[in-house]
Amino acid sequence: MQDDKIIELKNIKKICGDRKILDIDNFVVLKNKFNFIIGGNGSGKTTLLNILSLVDQDYSGQLYYKDQKINKEEQNLKLRRKFSVIWQDPYLYRGNVYYNIALPLKLRDCSPKLIDRKVKEIAKKLEIENLLHQSAHTLSGGERQKTSIARALITEPEVLFVDEATTNLDEESIHFFNSHFADLVTDEMTVVMVSHDRRQIKILADYITLLHQGKVETSKAVDNFNFQIFGAGIEAPIAEIV
Amino acid sequence: MDYYTDAIFRAFELIITLDSEVIQVVTTSLKISLSSTFIASIISIPLAVLIARNKFKTKKFINIILNTLLSLPTVVVGIFVYSLISRRGIMGELDLLFTPTGIIFGQVLLIIPLITALIRNVIFSMDEKLYKTAVSMGASRRQKFKLLILEARYGIIGAVIAGFGRVLGEIGVSMMIGGNIKGVTRTITTAMSLETNKGRFAFALALGIILLSLSFLINLVTYYLQEGKNYARR
Repeated sequence: MQDDKIIELKNIKKICGDRKILDIDNFVVLKNKFNFIIGGNGSGKTTLLNILSLVDQDYSGQLYYKDQKINKEEQNLKLRRKFSVIWQDPYLYRGNVYYNIALPLKLRDCSPKLIDRKVKEIAKKLEIENLLHQSAHTLSGGERQKTSIARALITEPEVLFVDEATTNLDEESIHFFNSHFADLVTDEMTVVMVSHDRRQIKILADYITLLHQGKVETSKAVDNFNFQIFGAGIEAPIAEIV
Repeated sequence: MDYYTDAIFRAFELIITLDSEVIQVVTTSLKISLSSTFIASIISIPLAVLIARNKFKTKKFINIILNTLLSLPTVVVGIFVYSLISRRGIMGELDLLFTPTGIIFGQVLLIIPLITALIRNVIFSMDEKLYKTAVSMGASRRQKFKLLILEARYGIIGAVIAGFGRVLGEIGVSMMIGGNIKGVTRTITTAMSLETNKGRFAFALALGIILLSLSFLINLVTYYLQEGKNYARR
């Protein structure tokens, strides 16, 4: 199992003021799998995701990508461009939906023709073709999230990080996300997902890591993950389990 | 009373007939003010981003200094620049005294704190997610800066316009450094002061009306830019 790892963390510590918010001896992200990170509020899930996705490089410890140590003092631009993140509350830039989805490809200096083709392709998959020329600031919560998913997937990242993408969405949007997400992700993609949604875990998870107060409580394949030891079954919301 | 009524009519006549002397003073003023605003903006924009986005030991001190310099009297800048560029000053050899370049130099120093502080506040108030998203999209340092400037553009333009308004209406630097030389360094404000003393009240009034109109125009543009910003946020 360890041979399939794509990202590995060793002795990671993140301190904010006097508070240690993350203290992880070892953590691995398995290649081409849906890696779920679960835990209660303040358990360090999002902090861990920020470190893994290189968004936060202010920590102590070592981060490895395909066994290569990452120097956190550097920009790591090449590596960052292999990653994408879908945020809980996505930030959309001033401009229309098309501009927002196209932005990552523009940053990579792709040709306008390629950008146009890819934007239309991904917008079709996410059923937001009719929104492409609408101002991003006039979208509903669900439409904003679909736009941010399109923006994250347009680069076909090696590793996709998802931070509680459905927390602020209505039932219809959550249903769309859960039923379409697996199809949007390619077999070559590795997914790291922070989630509270037990339905997502049931549908998608391959591997689950449970965090508690900034530490890894347990880390197992979904089939071996014993939800019962926490006094509840998979049917119970994760917040109740932890 | 007739004197003033007559002066008002003559002032409008000077504006409507595009009096060559009025046009010359206004043109000189605009050239100098636009140049100083442009140069100050080039310096202030990255400086503001640097102060707003980075952690360094002297940050608090720099912010206090910056806020103090916001209310800097123009004559103080005038004296300071005069001491630098007069014959005995360390920049005396550059012969900047009584030249438009000298005024521009002084005005740049005058408005750098204003534009920098205003843009710093704009950058401070930007959503932190903007930066995280830029990093997660694979933006380089330069691309992150560009994205930030694009997102903050309405606030930045507002700050630049405020700087332009400040230099257009200042008299201290223009008078002390420029020397009020006709056709060379005579700006709207210095000409108004001189012509009023000379008794050419209508001429001074005409320049006053133009200055007021320009200020109104500047505020109008700023207002619509701010409205545009608010509209886009809705």
